[in-house]
Amino acid sequence: MSIELDRDGDFITLSMGPHHPATHGVLRLVITTDGEIVTACKPDIGYLHRSIEKIAENLEWNQFAPYTDRVDYVCSMNSNHAWVLAAEALLATSSETKLVVPERAEYIRVIVAELNRISSHLVGVGSMSMDLGAFTPFIHALAQREVINDILEKACGARLTYNYMTIGGVACDLYQGAEDEIRSCLAELEKVMVNFNRLITTNSIFKGRLAGVAVVSPEDALSYGLVGPNLRGSGVDFDLRRDIPYGVYDRFDFNVPLGGAYAGSKGAVGDCYDRFVVRMLEILEAIKIIRQALDQMPPSAGKEDDPVGGWWLSKAAAKALRKPPVGEVYFRTENPRGETGYHIVSDGTKNPYRVKIRTGSFCAVSIFEKLVPGLMIADIVSVIGSFDIVLPEVDR
Amino acid sequence: MISFGPASDALALWFAKQGVTESVASWLAVLIIVCVPTLCIVFPIAGIAQYFERKIAGYAQRRRGPMVGADGVVRLVIDLSLFWQPRWKRQKAQAFVQGLPLVKPLLAWIRKWGLGAIAADGVKMFLKEDMAPAGANRFLFRAATYLAMTGSYLAYVVVPFSQGFHIADYPVGALFLGAVTGLVAVSILQAGWSSNNKWSHFGGIRAVAMIVSYETPIALCVGAVVMWSGTMSLQGIVAAQYASGWCSFLGWNVFQTPLMLLLAGVYYIAGLAECNRVPFDLSEGESEIVGGFHTEYSGLRWGLFFIAEYADMMIVGALFATMFLGGYQSPIGEEWIVALPQPWEAIVHSCIMIAKFVGSVGFMMWIRWTLPRFRIDQVMKLAWTKLVPLALFGLFGLAVTQWLASNANGVTEIVHGRYVSAPVVPLGAIGVGLSWIVFGTVAVVLVVLARRYGEPRPIDPAVKDALVGSGTWKPVAPAGKDGAA
Repeated sequence: MSIELDRDGDFITLSMGPHHPATHGVLRLVITTDGEIVTACKPDIGYLHRSIEKIAENLEWNQFAPYTDRVDYVCSMNSNHAWVLAAEALLATSSETKLVVPERAEYIRVIVAELNRISSHLVGVGSMSMDLGAFTPFIHALAQREVINDILEKACGARLTYNYMTIGGVACDLYQGAEDEIRSCLAELEKVMVNFNRLITTNSIFKGRLAGVAVVSPEDALSYGLVGPNLRGSGVDFDLRRDIPYGVYDRFDFNVPLGGAYAGSKGAVGDCYDRFVVRMLEILEAIKIIRQALDQMPPSAGKEDDPVGGWWLSKAAAKALRKPPVGEVYFRTENPRGETGYHIVSDGTKNPYRVKIRTGSFCAVSIFEKLVPGLMIADIVSVIGSFDIVLPEVDR
Repeated sequence: MISFGPASDALALWFAKQGVTESVASWLAVLIIVCVPTLCIVFPIAGIAQYFERKIAGYAQRRRGPMVGADGVVRLVIDLSLFWQPRWKRQKAQAFVQGLPLVKPLLAWIRKWGLGAIAADGVKMFLKEDMAPAGANRFLFRAATYLAMTGSYLAYVVVPFSQGFHIADYPVGALFLGAVTGLVAVSILQAGWSSNNKWSHFGGIRAVAMIVSYETPIALCVGAVVMWSGTMSLQGIVAAQYASGWCSFLGWNVFQTPLMLLLAGVYYIAGLAECNRVPFDLSEGESEIVGGFHTEYSGLRWGLFFIAEYADMMIVGALFATMFLGGYQSPIGEEWIVALPQPWEAIVHSCIMIAKFVGSVGFMMWIRWTLPRFRIDQVMKLAWTKLVPLALFGLFGLAVTQWLASNANGVTEIVHGRYVSAPVVPLGAIGVGLSWIVFGTVAVVLVVLARRYGEPRPIDPAVKDALVGSGTWKPVAPAGKDGAA
């Protein structure tokens, strides 16, 4: 009488989202269930589409940088990084417009990008544990993210959308005492991560929920174009920072954690738990990278106005961007949610002719249709959480 | 003519003296006896329990928890009583009142502990709009809340708080409890079905599947305790756990034999599932099925479900205390309390009882803020492949123990009357020791075998070392000065 059953055999069609607590934004999954078992799942995206790529065509190069923050607001430093590196790569195609990025700026970029990677992974693993019903680890992770946010806020004035990196450098030098603060933040983070892992990562209920769920084989991962921790969770050993290094990443010594059926006998390489553990381990690797970068970073030049490339834009960058070379470039970087690529076409005017953004979450959503059938409703939230999708990155 | 114990009889007599018909008088008396304690005691207790749950959550999450003070109340009262005055004058008056010698420290104290949250939550619930969604079956939708409350609160009728302090002591008290707590499943199914929401429907179905499954181990545990005590009356079960002397805790069921300990564990886990608490909160799993059965409820109706959940928790705690922890009896000698003059005996016993079940409710809250949630198949598997066999094992083991003990001690007839303070099955010191040794050895052997031949270490040691370190972990000091709730 009350329940409207879409009767086709014993199936119910459910709209999971766009307003659902576990879909991390405005994702809508149209799922068909037979009792608790899901028989079909169709992702419906586009609720957060803001035409960022089209906007880029109407803005100057440096004006687009704040928009890249909004492509993935959980790790806007990394999005910035991808954009400025792509723009610099395009400018480097002509000897007239080639920019020399100060070394200190390159190190600062790596430090803030890795800090943001940590905070992004903290949100990812924290919200995944919250999706599985454990609220306390989420608060612990977010408390630590606040410390990182404080550091980034002191560096650039914003807590979420930083707009810190500029073409040719970073907007301003790191503040005085930043190094000590970052080091103490990392030291505390290491302790908190141990606490977090004891609380949730090694919890047997948690492992039982994730072991063997939504196993992605390496072949599937490659054919669906999964990137980043989702790809490495399936055991594919590929990390842009190590294999095709950009910036100064070739100067650091770090491991690339891979999925290894960590959940034990019930687990399999590429299940939800592997993707979770890969993120946890990547946080530890990011800590290593930041420590090395802090050790290697050259001291500040000491000049107030032009310390690491200029205030917003150095003179050289401003000059180069007035008349960029004609041509196109595709540049990809390793973001917390995997490979982010910027494909820029320039027609020589001060606006880009076309910008295409390739993001990791989009591919992650595309594999749901294959993975989810056969799982239970409760598993959908662990799948969404384990792929750590961020909806603005899917829709752009 | 119905009766709910001596208090209701006296009240009915008084009503009858006023000229009310006898049957009406007895009904009125029962209504008052049941409703007044419910409204005056249990509603505030639910609020206080929720306050403590939030405090526990705050401690677990390294933040303060509730921080609502009572300043708003002062401001509201003055705003309302001086409503014709200009705003600045009212503010002056508010500042004056808040600075008064007695008021100021009181407000500061309330603010410090966030005690205003209790009142604020209650007021918020009362003020929200009461809505039924379009297409809902309104009658069932509304009736579900009352049914949930009925099921939870009827159970309090038989809980003994002291030797004579209970609403009723039925000879079939344990059976009565099973019957009325079963109403919770009906109310949740009804709420889920009548909401005209597929997520609510899922919540209702899940709750029924789970509660019905977990009633089996609960019934087996209760059955075992009833068999051990020889009575279904809860007062009788408490009385059967009496032991003389200063070590009276040795008489408690949980210390009788390891089988009782096992049954207590099974009962507690199944009880968690029975009142939909983490890790068994599948019927409301907010990240999976939105809000489960109470997705569509708002305001006080939602609050009634909420209160019913807390009432259920307390019932599970109270039953746990009654069946396994000696009920209202003190752990350090019982004679001195029994010898106290009447109101004091009841008060001391009630305090002990409340302390016991508050402890077990607190443990539930601790679990709530620590563990993630099971999946429905895992929940079912846990019930039918682990808890039911364990409870059966406990039941049969207890039966054998009882048979052996009664043979050894020459007990041919189980003598048990209400308020008789004598252990039913005199295991004796040797019997108790023997049973602990036998079952303890079996348990140790099982654990050793499971460690040797069970599943391999679940996580790669290298990764585990990277994740949780080599055991040199220390608690981390809270970050920052204060984290707001």
